[in-house]
Amino acid sequence: MRQEGHDRRVDENVWRPGTITRRRFVGVGAASVAAAGTLGAAMLVPSPWRRAFGSEKPIRVGGIQPLTGPAAGGGLMAKVGQEVAAERINAAGGVNGRPLELIVEDSEGKPAAGIRKTRKLLTRDLVDVGQGGFMSNVCIACMPEYRRARIVNMIGVCLDTTITTSRCDRYTFRPFDYAPAQAVAFAPYLVNNIGKKWHILFADYAWGQSTRDAYRDGIQNQGGEVVDTTGIPLGTADMVPFLSKIRGDFDGLFMIFFGKDGVNVVTQAYNLGLHNKYRFAGDGAAVVAGTNLPAQREKALGFVGIDRYLPIFQGPLDTEHHRKFFDAVFEQSKQYDPNGILPDRYSQSNFEALNILKVGMEACDFRGREDTEKLIEALEDLQVYAGDDFPTGDRLLRKADHQAFTNEYIFEVVQGAGDTYQPKVLQVVPWQDTIVPPACQFV
Amino acid sequence: MNELFQDLVVQMLIGISTGLILALVASGLTLIFGIMDVVNFAHGELFMLGAYMGWVFFTMTGSFWLGLAAAALCVFVFGLIMQRSALRSLIGSDPLTTILATFGISLVLQTAAIWIWGPTVRRVGAAFTGHVAVFHLQFPVYRFLVAMLSLAIIGGLWLFMHRGRFGLWIRATTQDRQMALAMGIPVPLVHTVVFGIGAAMAATSGYLYAPILGVDPTMGVNNILRAFIIVVVGGMGNLWGSVLAAVFIGMLEALAVIWVSPALAVIFSFAALIVTLLVRPTGLFVAVPR
Repeated sequence: MRQEGHDRRVDENVWRPGTITRRRFVGVGAASVAAAGTLGAAMLVPSPWRRAFGSEKPIRVGGIQPLTGPAAGGGLMAKVGQEVAAERINAAGGVNGRPLELIVEDSEGKPAAGIRKTRKLLTRDLVDVGQGGFMSNVCIACMPEYRRARIVNMIGVCLDTTITTSRCDRYTFRPFDYAPAQAVAFAPYLVNNIGKKWHILFADYAWGQSTRDAYRDGIQNQGGEVVDTTGIPLGTADMVPFLSKIRGDFDGLFMIFFGKDGVNVVTQAYNLGLHNKYRFAGDGAAVVAGTNLPAQREKALGFVGIDRYLPIFQGPLDTEHHRKFFDAVFEQSKQYDPNGILPDRYSQSNFEALNILKVGMEACDFRGREDTEKLIEALEDLQVYAGDDFPTGDRLLRKADHQAFTNEYIFEVVQGAGDTYQPKVLQVVPWQDTIVPPACQFV
Repeated sequence: MNELFQDLVVQMLIGISTGLILALVASGLTLIFGIMDVVNFAHGELFMLGAYMGWVFFTMTGSFWLGLAAAALCVFVFGLIMQRSALRSLIGSDPLTTILATFGISLVLQTAAIWIWGPTVRRVGAAFTGHVAVFHLQFPVYRFLVAMLSLAIIGGLWLFMHRGRFGLWIRATTQDRQMALAMGIPVPLVHTVVFGIGAAMAATSGYLYAPILGVDPTMGVNNILRAFIIVVVGGMGNLWGSVLAAVFIGMLEALAVIWVSPALAVIFSFAALIVTLLVRPTGLFVAVPR
């Protein structure tokens, strides 16, 4: 009984009310005030661009990327590309003497969330230009928002063909390649060097479908044949039910996937022995991206692809500009992976998209969203050249459809030093040889 | 041999193996619900966490089996902590409260995985890499191995629950929580350990699935939806009902693939779910009291 009574007194002393003395109150209060003060002081420390540019009003660049959800891997690398470009621009004096302020929102890879975040950027953050977008269905959903706000939308990753053809928009620009240009560059190699008969496996959504159509036309134009196509919904983890139905007489399996789906399709097709019968090829680094190869390893050996960017130093990519870009992205990516992540087409295209905006803004002395019309004129038919801003080479941003044309690299996955796997350039197709006629009527 | 027969054999193999793999995911979920009435929305993230834990140990030791043991053990401990810190005080409250709590935990775990391990897909080498020729395909032996292991683990769980004192406590708690308390069974301890076991089963299935799917922060999302369908069709809280439902759903989808696109085959699972809810809301494989 005595022990029980003692326990109760201890409990009461520790937990019950009435034990808050004036001294304890003052002590806890002082600690709280100190903590709040520290936090407040930390919040008042100026951002790097504010230190460099004083009270100069920043040019606000806003965009969405999928920072969570199935496409988060690519979205984070896209953001890394934007961050590296913005830091570099600000370190070099900003744009027209003003700093760039980058605001990146999470689209979750979903059109509804993308629209919501884009509206926030346009109406609450009052961004001066848009730059970003990863999933094509999200980009397509958000294009009308930029049109309504009359703000330039410089797309970062979205590859759906219709963005610069049937859905083209005066305010939207795509400063990198698209499937019809890739197909023109790649189809001759596929048909003449691998085989005439193909089965296309594609991610069954906007980008995958339009890319399938472009390659089907490209292969047929070269005298080849697409015997069948199989669409696999985005984010399908177990692809075996789809892959188990593939059989017949054809030469190659052409894959159009990205991110984790790229890992799954190559790994699971290999596990079912399809590599013994058919040659694997596809929309290049989207399937066998530098981030995917460590997971695919020997299963990706011999894969032939095409891409606008490869994280290797061969041919036109063996330049000082490319090394600088490579090192900066690798370093910046350590915030997401302590070992660093190799640059990919997502970091590259966002890096160059922000730089092409900078070139356009400097050309028209851009001051804010009121200068949108001047910026559109400056960007139309803008030709830029290889350098620190454009490490992958020259390009043209065509006026007729706001579509750019870039160099393309046809490559094969080979075993590198030790236990690593990497792309090896087989052929470089200059941007001039990838041009296809415009198919856009601006409204 | 005609194509239809080949398709039937191939799809039945796929259906049975996929069903048994999913049974392991679903059995952890149904175990937790059966004992605590908690619909664990973080089960997919425990699946993912197990794959990552296994990958970490696999990378360190090069042993697939050590990775498996580490995945189960680490996530078992994590499950104990999660139940003790976040869920224990919510047991018995409105089901919506636990759904929201576990959903919140799932978001935290998914984001934490991106920050800790990064967004890139990791790979765990399969324990067996052999193939069996099945008509036009080379069917991976590993898929069969995982299916058999799943069955063995579920069987082991059943033995654990039907032999020994702790199993008796679990069954007593499932039948009547208040009466179990009155009889001196430490119900809070039973809840915590069962949650740990459920978490370990999710982790085991995540790691076993890793050589097939790769390891990434969102890998749990895909499987958890089907696991929920299986749990409802099999009867919430019914272990063997879940196994039967998993094989049933796996076969249903696989056989549907012969005639429709695999993308549409999942509709048959949802149809089964709707029919179950309409005709036998307690589950297809639960005995109806006379």
